Amino acid sequence: MKLTYQILAACSLLLTASCYKDKGNYSYKSPENITISGVEATYDKVSLVDKISIDPKVSSTDPDAQFSYWWGIYETNVQGSAPKVDTIGHSKTLDYLVTQPAKGWVLVFGTRNEHTGFSRIVTANLNVVTQFTRGWYIMKSDGGKTDVDLFLTPTGIAPQSRLENVFSLVNGKKLDGDASLFGFYTNYKSNVTGAYANTRALFILSDKDASVVNINTFKEIHGLNNLFYETPSVKRPGSISESSQANYFVNDGHLHSIYSMSANIGLFGGKQLRDDNNSPYSLSKYFMAYPFENPFFFDETSSSFVSATGTGAVLSATTDATGTEMPANRMNKDLLFMGVKSTYPYVGIALFRDKTDPTLKIVSSITPSNYALKIVNDTLTQTDKLNQAEHFGLIVADENILYFSVGQEVWSWNLSNGAEQLQFTVPAGEKITSIRHRNYAGSSNTEQPFYHNYMLISTTSGGNYKVRAFRKTSGNLATTPDFTMEGKGSVGDVIYIAPSISNYTYPNSY
Amino acid sequence: MKQILTVAMLTALLAACKKDQYYLYNDIARLQFGPTPDRIYTSSFEMADTMKPFTFFYEPATITQDTVFFDIYAIGGISGNDRPFTLEQVNIPGEANAVPGTHYKAFSDASLKDAYVIKAGQVHASVPVIVLRDASLKKGTVKLQIQVKANEQFQPGEIKKLWRRVEFTDMLSQPAAWNASAVQYYWGKYSQVKHSFMINQTGEKWDQEFLTFVNTDYALLSFWRLKLKTLLTDYNNAHPGAPLTDEMGETVVFP
Repeated sequence: MKLTYQILAACSLLLTASCYKDKGNYSYKSPENITISGVEATYDKVSLVDKISIDPKVSSTDPDAQFSYWWGIYETNVQGSAPKVDTIGHSKTLDYLVTQPAKGWVLVFGTRNEHTGFSRIVTANLNVVTQFTRGWYIMKSDGGKTDVDLFLTPTGIAPQSRLENVFSLVNGKKLDGDASLFGFYTNYKSNVTGAYANTRALFILSDKDASVVNINTFKEIHGLNNLFYETPSVKRPGSISESSQANYFVNDGHLHSIYSMSANIGLFGGKQLRDDNNSPYSLSKYFMAYPFENPFFFDETSSSFVSATGTGAVLSATTDATGTEMPANRMNKDLLFMGVKSTYPYVGIALFRDKTDPTLKIVSSITPSNYALKIVNDTLTQTDKLNQAEHFGLIVADENILYFSVGQEVWSWNLSNGAEQLQFTVPAGEKITSIRHRNYAGSSNTEQPFYHNYMLISTTSGGNYKVRAFRKTSGNLATTPDFTMEGKGSVGDVIYIAPSISNYTYPNSY
Repeated sequence: MKQILTVAMLTALLAACKKDQYYLYNDIARLQFGPTPDRIYTSSFEMADTMKPFTFFYEPATITQDTVFFDIYAIGGISGNDRPFTLEQVNIPGEANAVPGTHYKAFSDASLKDAYVIKAGQVHASVPVIVLRDASLKKGTVKLQIQVKANEQFQPGEIKKLWRRVEFTDMLSQPAAWNASAVQYYWGKYSQVKHSFMINQTGEKWDQEFLTFVNTDYALLSFWRLKLKTLLTDYNNAHPGAPLTDEMGETVVFP
């Protein structure tokens, strides 16, 4: 009984808490739902030409809703600062002339029900584009000077018109030397819009000069003289590539890098050392690179493969992987060609010539595992056409085939069995200058007309070039090209650029 | 009965769950050093700038004195009147302590009578320490440790924030920006030989201003680290068997 009283007393004390006056504000109405429609997910507009005209439909479950509106816009991919939203309208309909520089922006539409205070915001991607943001770019040289032609593709992958010499047209100069290599990166840092941000940038390399341009305007961001923290004394660009969180630039056989995982201003650092003794080295222009893998270069001085990191002061040494048929270091070979065969698995193909016996040539597949290389060789016979190859073009990811040219003939070398096959003979008088595989694929409905998978065979004759775009079936070229691009000069490289093409679209390779 | 009391006490303890009220500072005015005003609420900077190195090395010969500033804060709110505060030198046992009138202008110097004041309406002041370019500084470094001294306006604040130190010389000295992080990742252990090498080989001052500038940009840091490493390697290659060695007899290296 005593225990019962004790429990009752305790409960009575606790029950006093229930005397608290409830001042709650309860509402059993359904939460308000504001609906906005009529705003697309993405808009492509030309700066200073196109308007964004949108009349969204706004409704609410609140029958007494009274809306206010605002429109804003902000820049994406800004480095080192939070992007600011610029207000561009306060009415429901937007009729706004796009004045922003060409790049990615975000359009914001907000509405507020003044009756209830509830708001709703929707956003849309705004790609501000120019005539330079889509088309075939052809790097060509003429009389020891390099320039770029643009073939416009407004409705499909076949070009409809040509803008000649766009680099000199925009920048008032040509590059010295002969056309060599394009490199396209969407994460290159520049302040072309006023703040350091990822910039869609095209590197144009000749054998004596280089330039990186903003693809949206084709204006030069940096020339070779101001692309480095310290201007190189010798101008001899070899390659531009991206790998393992860094961009790499080979000039005069020396490696320079930009570590892309930290804030930077788009300038390449000093010459990386070969080793702790600063031993001399000279990198071949050929390389293997892919953004998610280690880069591999070939030191012609020591006939050795080397790798690198974006932050290192010294080149990284390579080692031999299990099962390799040739050492990665001091192999006594000249590298005649190397390129990326596939990115997953990460495999490269190289053609070597023995230094002691120059008649001995081998085709090798190179499979890296971290910094260890497994090199598997296939020795050429003296009758193989590949012995006389002048230009090379790997098919990337598709068939296991290396294309090459001998004189006016384009041949294929089956990397699986060494079989050679004549694919195309260029007309008399034409000289082959480059072979390039470009594959642009995806699942975007709007990009369907632009997707392609071409072997691009470039020739020159009488100071004029032709670039024939061949489809291929089972590694064999179609009998006739889909289209041919023509202009003045001799072609070094060809690339297709579109707003949705990124630095992952094409592998870094010759 | 005992159980009733126990249960009642436990129940009463529930009242302890009431949110406590904040206590406002109602102590006397106190004074203590702190970081620059923009860092005052950043806990990791609480003890920043405790010691500042300084050198006349880069100054023209005509410069005979310079000023090192510290930041000091009054606790206890503002006042409608200017509030003078007092500093005193603390001699560090076993060290070369600065001599007032020789190495620095004494805090009691008549020219400084208005220098050590928390202005009306303020809680912060920059504390000037006037360092003098005595000839002895060409041969060594002296240390001036100062601390807050109680006066009519202020009592000392937190004990660990009552002092600051200037270490100054007329020789090359380790800039503050050549800090522990820079030692570990960029420039390595400080030595005057290394510092001179950096200046002579690059043409840059490698003083506090330049190092602070370089520190703002990782890519620039990496560039200079690689540049110095290359220059040192080339120097050592050009002097076989006699690598660059510092004043402590250690081989100079960059990380």
